[in-house]
Amino acid sequence: MDRAPQTITVEGLTRRFGDFTAVDHVDFCVPQGKMTGFVGGNGAGKTTTMRMIMGVLSISEGRVMWGDQPMTAAHQRSIGYMPEERGLYPKQKVADQLIYLGQLKGLSPKAARESVMTLLERLGLGERTSDAVEALSLGNQQRVQIAAALMIEPAALILDEPFSGLDPDAVDSMAELLREHTARGVPVLFSSHQLDLVDRLCDQLVILAKGQVRATGTPTKLRGGSPRRHRLVAVRDAGWVREVPGVSAIDVDGPVAVLDLVSDSEAERQRLLGEVLAEGLRRGGVTELSPIIPPLSEVYREVTA
Amino acid sequence: MKTTNAWTLVARRELSVRLRDKTFIGSTLLSLVILVAVFGFQAWNANKASTYDLAVTSQSQQMGQVVVDAAPGIDDKVTVTLVDVADDQSAKAAVTDESADAWLHRTSDGWQLVGKSDVSPGLQDIATQSIGTAVLAANADKVGTDVTALQKGTDVTTDILDGDAEQAGIAKAVGFGMAILFYMSAAIFGMYLAMSVTEEKQSRIVEIIATSIPLRHLLFGKLIAAVALAVGQLLLYAAVAIVGASFTEWGDMLPGLTSGLIWFIVFFIAGFTMIAALYAVSGALASRQEDIQSTSFPVTMLLMVMFFGAMFASGPIVDVLAWIPPFSAILQPMRLVSGEAQWWEALISLGILAAVTVGVILVAERIYRRALMQTGGKLSYKDAWNAEL
Repeated sequence: MDRAPQTITVEGLTRRFGDFTAVDHVDFCVPQGKMTGFVGGNGAGKTTTMRMIMGVLSISEGRVMWGDQPMTAAHQRSIGYMPEERGLYPKQKVADQLIYLGQLKGLSPKAARESVMTLLERLGLGERTSDAVEALSLGNQQRVQIAAALMIEPAALILDEPFSGLDPDAVDSMAELLREHTARGVPVLFSSHQLDLVDRLCDQLVILAKGQVRATGTPTKLRGGSPRRHRLVAVRDAGWVREVPGVSAIDVDGPVAVLDLVSDSEAERQRLLGEVLAEGLRRGGVTELSPIIPPLSEVYREVTA
Repeated sequence: MKTTNAWTLVARRELSVRLRDKTFIGSTLLSLVILVAVFGFQAWNANKASTYDLAVTSQSQQMGQVVVDAAPGIDDKVTVTLVDVADDQSAKAAVTDESADAWLHRTSDGWQLVGKSDVSPGLQDIATQSIGTAVLAANADKVGTDVTALQKGTDVTTDILDGDAEQAGIAKAVGFGMAILFYMSAAIFGMYLAMSVTEEKQSRIVEIIATSIPLRHLLFGKLIAAVALAVGQLLLYAAVAIVGASFTEWGDMLPGLTSGLIWFIVFFIAGFTMIAALYAVSGALASRQEDIQSTSFPVTMLLMVMFFGAMFASGPIVDVLAWIPPFSAILQPMRLVSGEAQWWEALISLGILAAVTVGVILVAERIYRRALMQTGGKLSYKDAWNAEL
């Protein structure tokens, strides 16, 4: 089987349940070697989209491309997939069921065993291979699920809420593991509610609301390039900033001011910053001039509003 | 590995999980222990040799000896020994302290056996027969004739035109046993299958499986494992029962019943495969384990109707139902055992059953595949049939 990673492209993907359109002409791509964060509220259509990409749910309209070909069952078989709910086989031993799932994906029993043992060791579950899944903590069950998706040396990863229920250390080690796969060119699509986490981990974002794509791109691009708002702390009163042309003072409180550089041009904003700094130095000195990076949640609220 | 053999992987997992399941092992062993105990008791009872101690005084000594001599001829597992006592008082004492089972003495109009709280029926039979014959012979002699002359022309013999009543009774009992086994086995293994289907649906592991192999393979692997386990357990029970029965008085009838048992197993395979496919569907329709009771209700009812039909239907109804799947799965082998059906009838009935089973599997496969991917609560058969994947 060909396990070479390819970019996944979703074109006009639509799914209707009766009269209800859960996913409405969605277009985006999951590029090779990139972590793509899939963000949206409950019922936005993330899970439905992922299930269509995996062929678990049939497509009402549109298509999913694997590189330059339509996605087939054989391609889907080479993808590591982590569905929404958890549990696997609660009563079966961790290693046994992972080996079984590996064999279903086409691994030989020997290759499956080696891959499973190595992964479980890495995920800190080396001691728990003979325990029943139900005996593990929720966080550890989550790791077993991740192992199920990763053990086949996947050509792509589609992960539905992979970080929910993990503590910060576990998130870091899981992110590191995923980075190893993107490093060999694997496209990764993961959904999450935790925007700060997505901000930190992903290379690009797809924001979904009511079944439609509201925004795509890198976190920086979504914020509208380099930030327009800055915080100025001057040595003396900063009331003078109101007089600088091209700069709008949103708030001035003694020596502290919040500025908005009123321009869509990056170069113009750079020039305005220089002017503010020069003026501040002339008027007794500046102790701080720093960009205010809006949290992703603000961007999210704006585009989904 | 190719996806074409994926069902073997599925079947192997199902088997290995179930064969390590402590509840399953425990209940199978318990059933075996009960079977062995029943046959063990029967065999012990049938071969039990009894010895009776009969207290006699000088007055009844001679008649006592008649009983002793006659005992082996009447029942070869019974031995009677005489305990000589001095007088009636010591005879009563011997019975009271249980050094004798009974005391034989003469009364004004015959003979009497005196026991402590009862007289063992085995001893009573032998004493009644042997003493009766001896007294009759003595009386005949007195009036100058003999027993043969007296009994001449008194014989009433019987003849049967239609089978052997005992054999027919046994065949009926074996038939009922098969109906019970079919019902129990199908209900237990069917319900287990439904639960394991729901388990996969509930945890969404079925989505991982669906992206690995065609779901058809998952269903077939699970069906084959369920049938193999059920048949394996039945064969184990049957083997123990046959070996057990061969140690009892029913041993002579075994050769006549064995072919019926083989037919039973063959019909079970076809009939249970159909029932199991329906149970798999009812598992797929449920969204949680709690739903299975209600989604499997139609299948459980069907199985009950099959069972009670086999137990209580009679006459022309049986003749019709024995051809209609799934009822034929129980009724046809029962008719074979009782000798009502010929082998070619069974073969035709089996063909019909197998064809309908294949049809049911095809329909079940469609509903199963669709229902598994629906996450919103419990489904009806109709919704699942019409559902988009």
